[in-house]
This record gives sequence, structure tokens and C-alpha cells, in this order.
Amino acid sequence: MVTKTEESQLNKLENQVDNGGGGAWEYLCLARKLKVRRSDKVLKYGLSILNDSRKRSSLGPDEWTLYEQVAVAAMDCHALDVAKDCISALQKKFPESKRVGRLEAMLLEAKGSWEDAEAAYSSLLEDNPFDQVIHKRRVAIAKAQGNISAAIEWLNKYLEIFMADHDAWRELAEIYVSLQMYKQAAFCYEELILSQPTVPLYHLAYADVLYTLGGLENLQTAKKYYSSTIDLSGGKNNRALFGICLVSCANKPNSGSLHLGKKSHCTHVFKKNSQNTHVMKKIPNLRMFGPSPRLTKAVIESPR
Amino acid sequence: MGLGFTVGVIGVLILGHAAYSTIQYRSLLKITEEEFSGPPMEVVLELLVGLLFCMWAALTVPGKFLSVHPHSDENRVVSLPENVDFMIFNHRGRAFSSEVGLKLKH
Repeated sequence: MVTKTEESQLNKLENQVDNGGGGAWEYLCLARKLKVRRSDKVLKYGLSILNDSRKRSSLGPDEWTLYEQVAVAAMDCHALDVAKDCISALQKKFPESKRVGRLEAMLLEAKGSWEDAEAAYSSLLEDNPFDQVIHKRRVAIAKAQGNISAAIEWLNKYLEIFMADHDAWRELAEIYVSLQMYKQAAFCYEELILSQPTVPLYHLAYADVLYTLGGLENLQTAKKYYSSTIDLSGGKNNRALFGICLVSCANKPNSGSLHLGKKSHCTHVFKKNSQNTHVMKKIPNLRMFGPSPRLTKAVIESPR
Repeated sequence: MGLGFTVGVIGVLILGHAAYSTIQYRSLLKITEEEFSGPPMEVVLELLVGLLFCMWAALTVPGKFLSVHPHSDENRVVSLPENVDFMIFNHRGRAFSSEVGLKLKH
């Protein structure tokens, strides 16, 4: 979970390193801890540390973690020879390691030789049949080949064994949303909310899915979950505020006074939060959700 | 850290001194055979001072307090971490070669 202070710290470090000040190692550590996907920067600055033998020896045992991080970033940027060099350096140091075996199989995946990667993962699984990461990589192979139904099948089998894995539930929810199977996606998000009820982003995603499903009950529930997102994030999540506006409009398109108070307050807070007045001007488009021009006029004239 | 610690030690010593004074006062009252209603005013004052010192030391010595509000900037979740385990590599970013000549030089 990336908090606001951590995000601003990451951006500050990134600016600093981009403009030539030091701090590459702190940036790489923070990127690894927060699990953000900034592969081009990680590759560039990681290589700059690894190529300098003085900086490399000053890292001590963290050098190998850096090799792993740079290898994955290189695969993401499709710099496959850099990845190969990093993995062979790791292999020289840790010859019989499972982690290095996994990296090699990932390199096969990145090259596009899916059968070899499958074979490598199966042989790794024989030694250790309960390795979670390898099961997940098999799902990733199916997804990369475009075989989404096989990916769903593998992921469901994985979740039957490892039911507490939030990342897998989130991945399954996103796959269902991409296939427009919203009821199943709602189920996955419900699981996520049950296990981690204080993360507002799951509430937000669930509300979005319910709003997309439509129908009176779903809209009411979506409004409740948008409200809980606003509650948990202290009113600082623009998307949830906008969601409440839309749900209120979609719910009762002809009522004037009842929902006016809540909507105008929401738009007021929304405007205070975002300095982006372009979005405020787009609110007239709410007309498509409700045929009443009086309502939208009142929304635009909300207190400044 | 050092100052807080010393203040804490001084507070504990003051409390100990107050306890000793009360015991002495009681034994004095036993000699003159009067009721022991409570420690004298000075000892009460000393107790309060000792309490303040100890409380101040207890709050400053352990270090920085973490925020409890769920929507403060330190606790507010802005984005979820990327799903690193499910990352795939055949995305369109393959076509952008970022920098030529990036290699591991040994």
C-alpha cells in the first residue's frame, strides 16, 4: 500500500536522481519496498550503480538483491541481454538457488518461448509443490499468451488452495472486469473488502463495479460504498466524490430538492480538492444520466 | 534522549525521596502518638513535581509517535502496489528501446 507521504517521497527522490543529484540507491530501495513499476528508471540507475565497481562493493550483501531487481526491470524494458548477464552473475554466486531458477524461467517467458518456460516452472514445482510465486507465474504465462480462460482456470485453482492471497483476488477481479463479467468481479472485490476492510481503494473499485452493473439495488449499494471510501480517505479521494454525484443523478433523475444538498456539497468539496476546473465544466454531461435540466443547472451553480 | 533520561531518573529519585519523607513523618507521629491523616503539604508538592518529571520523560524518551488518523498523509493509501507476481513482459513497451548501449560491464 503506497501512502501519500511515501508517494511524494518517491517522486522527490526520482526528481533528484533525474536531475543529477545522488540518492540512486535510496530510490531503488524505496521502489523495491513500494513495489512500483518504474522499470526504465530502475534499469538506468541500477546499471549505473552496478557498473561502478566501487559503488557495487559498498553495497555489501544487498548487491545481489540489486541484481535481481535490475534483472526484472531489464526484462520489463526488453533489454534481454542485460537480464541474461545479471542472471548469470547471480547464478555464479548462488548455483543451486530456486530464486535464480525462477528468474531464468522468467527470462524464457520474456523471450517468448512459452513451452520452455512452462517446462521450467513444472520442474521447479516438482521440487517444491507449494511455491506460490511459481503458480502465479503460470497464470501470468497464460495471460501473456492471450489465453484468458486458462488464466482464470489456473487462478481459480490457485485460490482454492491459497485463499488468503490478496494479490491473486485482485488479479482475478481485474481479469473479470476486462472480460465484462461484473458479477464475478463483484464477488472478488467482496472477498478483498472482507479481508482488508480499511483499504479505501477496494471499496472504490467495488462501488465502480456495482455502478457499472446498474439496477436500483446495485446503485444504492454503490452509493454506500462510495460513501465509505470518502469516509476512509477523509474526503480526499476525488473519484469517490464524483461517484456519489453520478449515482445520485442516475438514481432519481427527476427529483430536485432531495438530492440537491448532498450533490452540491460533493461538488463543492470536489472543487476544493482538485484545482482542475476542466472537470467541473464537464459536469453538464450529467444530463445523459437524467433528463432534468433544472438539476444540472443547480449542480453547476453549487456554492463556490 | 540523554536529557529525557536524566529527567526521568531525577523524577524517580524525587518520588523515592517523597516516600522516605512520608515514612519519617509517620514514625515521628508514632512518637508523638497522633493520627496519621496524610503526608504534609511539602511531600504532596514533591509528589506532584516527581509525577510531572516522570511523565515528561516517559513521553519524550521512547521516540516519535506514529499517526493514528486513517486519513492523515502518512496513513492514507493513495495507490495499490503493482501486482509484481503477475507481471507480463509482452506489452507494447517492448517497441520503445529506452537507451541504446545499456549493458552490464563485467
